[in-house]
Amino acid sequence: MKNVKKLVEYVLLTLLAFFFIFPLLWMVSSSMKSEESIYQDLNSVQALLPSFQITEWLSTYTELFSRFDIGTYLFNSVFYALLVTAGAIVVNAMAGYAFAKFHFKGKNIMFSLLLAMLIIPVETIIITQFTIIHNLGLVDNRLAVIIPLIANAFFIYLFRNFFIAVPDSVIESAKMEGAGHWTIFWRIMLPMSKPAVATVGTLAFIGSWNDYIWPLMILTDSDKYPLQVAITSINATEPVFINQVMAILTISTIPLIIVYIVAQKYLLQGLSSSGSGQK
Amino acid sequence: MDLTKKQTRLKRWEGWKSSSLAFQAQPFYFLLPAIILLGLFLFLPALLTIYYAFTDYYLLTPDQRQFVGLRNFTQIFGDPVFLRSLQNITIFVVGIIIFQVGMSLGLALLINKQRRGNIFLKVAFFSPVVMSLVVISVLWLYLLNPTDGLVNSMLQAVGINAQPFLTSPNQAIYAIILVSVWQGAGYQMLIFLAGLQNIPGDVYEAARIDGAGKWKSFLHVTIPLLRPTTTLIVFTTLIAAFKLIIQPMIMTQGGPLNSTMTPIYYIYQTGFTDRLVGYSSAMTVVFGLLIVIVTFVQRRFAKEDL
Repeated sequence: MKNVKKLVEYVLLTLLAFFFIFPLLWMVSSSMKSEESIYQDLNSVQALLPSFQITEWLSTYTELFSRFDIGTYLFNSVFYALLVTAGAIVVNAMAGYAFAKFHFKGKNIMFSLLLAMLIIPVETIIITQFTIIHNLGLVDNRLAVIIPLIANAFFIYLFRNFFIAVPDSVIESAKMEGAGHWTIFWRIMLPMSKPAVATVGTLAFIGSWNDYIWPLMILTDSDKYPLQVAITSINATEPVFINQVMAILTISTIPLIIVYIVAQKYLLQGLSSSGSGQK
Repeated sequence: MDLTKKQTRLKRWEGWKSSSLAFQAQPFYFLLPAIILLGLFLFLPALLTIYYAFTDYYLLTPDQRQFVGLRNFTQIFGDPVFLRSLQNITIFVVGIIIFQVGMSLGLALLINKQRRGNIFLKVAFFSPVVMSLVVISVLWLYLLNPTDGLVNSMLQAVGINAQPFLTSPNQAIYAIILVSVWQGAGYQMLIFLAGLQNIPGDVYEAARIDGAGKWKSFLHVTIPLLRPTTTLIVFTTLIAAFKLIIQPMIMTQGGPLNSTMTPIYYIYQTGFTDRLVGYSSAMTVVFGLLIVIVTFVQRRFAKEDL
């Protein structure tokens, strides 16, 4: 009786796991077969398996690379994401340091203002953000993809909380040695806050990698497209081959899998900023 | 200006300079990049949006914009598409709160039990989270295809008729809810799991000694002790759900018959595609205000938990 119960439990759990994983399996395996076999396999288990001929596995990818400039899109995505990540760490950590370790006039007011900014739903003001980029003459400029994503009130808050925990005596003794705030910031504060740096870095990287609407609005030249925008443009370029679409989906997912594996322990700390993944 | 006034002013300046040490000017330098960027891309646009909402700003002719008073606002409340989008987003938000939070709690409870192969379950439940919203939207567009979609062929294999899904005005929004729950639940599962593992084992032990069964200890130990985690998850999920745009944009373009049009998507369409910046700003103000109010109400309710 106990065994039967256990068996039922395992069957149900497997079904549940299947519900979560089958789209991913179908995506990857459909990218590794011809378009006709995708349709032929729809009614059998083979839908979730790649082609039985290993030589066919990469042919979709070679076709995709010869039709589209995938290398450029990949480079663009990596380029944007790395610059956003570096910028987000430095700019927000600097502001966080100022709020944590300096005493200056208006600090409390500025900090309340910062917390109030957390409430502004950024997604609603993209049109006005676009008019600003337009006035700055940055439409279709790579810079415009990057700079709006750098400063982030939540990241500043996160860094500030981390820096406050660093004892003042550490800073005092560094000052005695003749170090300025700039040196203290780079040599002591940042290296002592590796978890905060990793959390902000990971969230900024993923945020930039997944960004879609903003680059879609400001870029007109397809050579500057990041992968996310390239996906929908490939999916709209006739003739559309399902296996090639699945291949570009797979390509754009692989880097994120790596990021999630490397940085998994830092992701939970970012909950309050990224929410449910609806972003 | 007489001399004494000037002198005292100079003195005050000198005093301020020396009393403030060498570091006095530095917080400014450290804050400057963040102030410029947040000012330019968050603060200024928020203020400008409010101003634009009272004008007839057309994207291509910004210099000809004129003050039109409340015209945009009276117009949006008679705009059937905007009203429909508010209705749609309400369905979406309620659906997400019930199903996504419920699902993620359920998954966390399943994973929390010790058993062989748990790590595989965890990876499976979490796997949709690593895909971007663009990727999952395009992927499910094919999976939910009414004629050649894998989902329909699986349904038919177990004897269920093929469904129209995204092509039906009655089903499309629910299909989008399903896809969103599928994508997001794994992430919140991990947060619930962390919350569950923070509940000390001896509390359950005490409940067991008092004669509480599994169900009772779930109801009277797990649920109350998980409240701060639940509040946090509901809080963040709700606000994020209000901002739905990518899924309908890619999967349905807001259709069929505006049944999946969302406020942010409509704001994007009127402001960017139709270039009616003034009109779209008025919707932004109304909808943005709604989100801010919801945030405040939530904070009031959740004060003790956050």
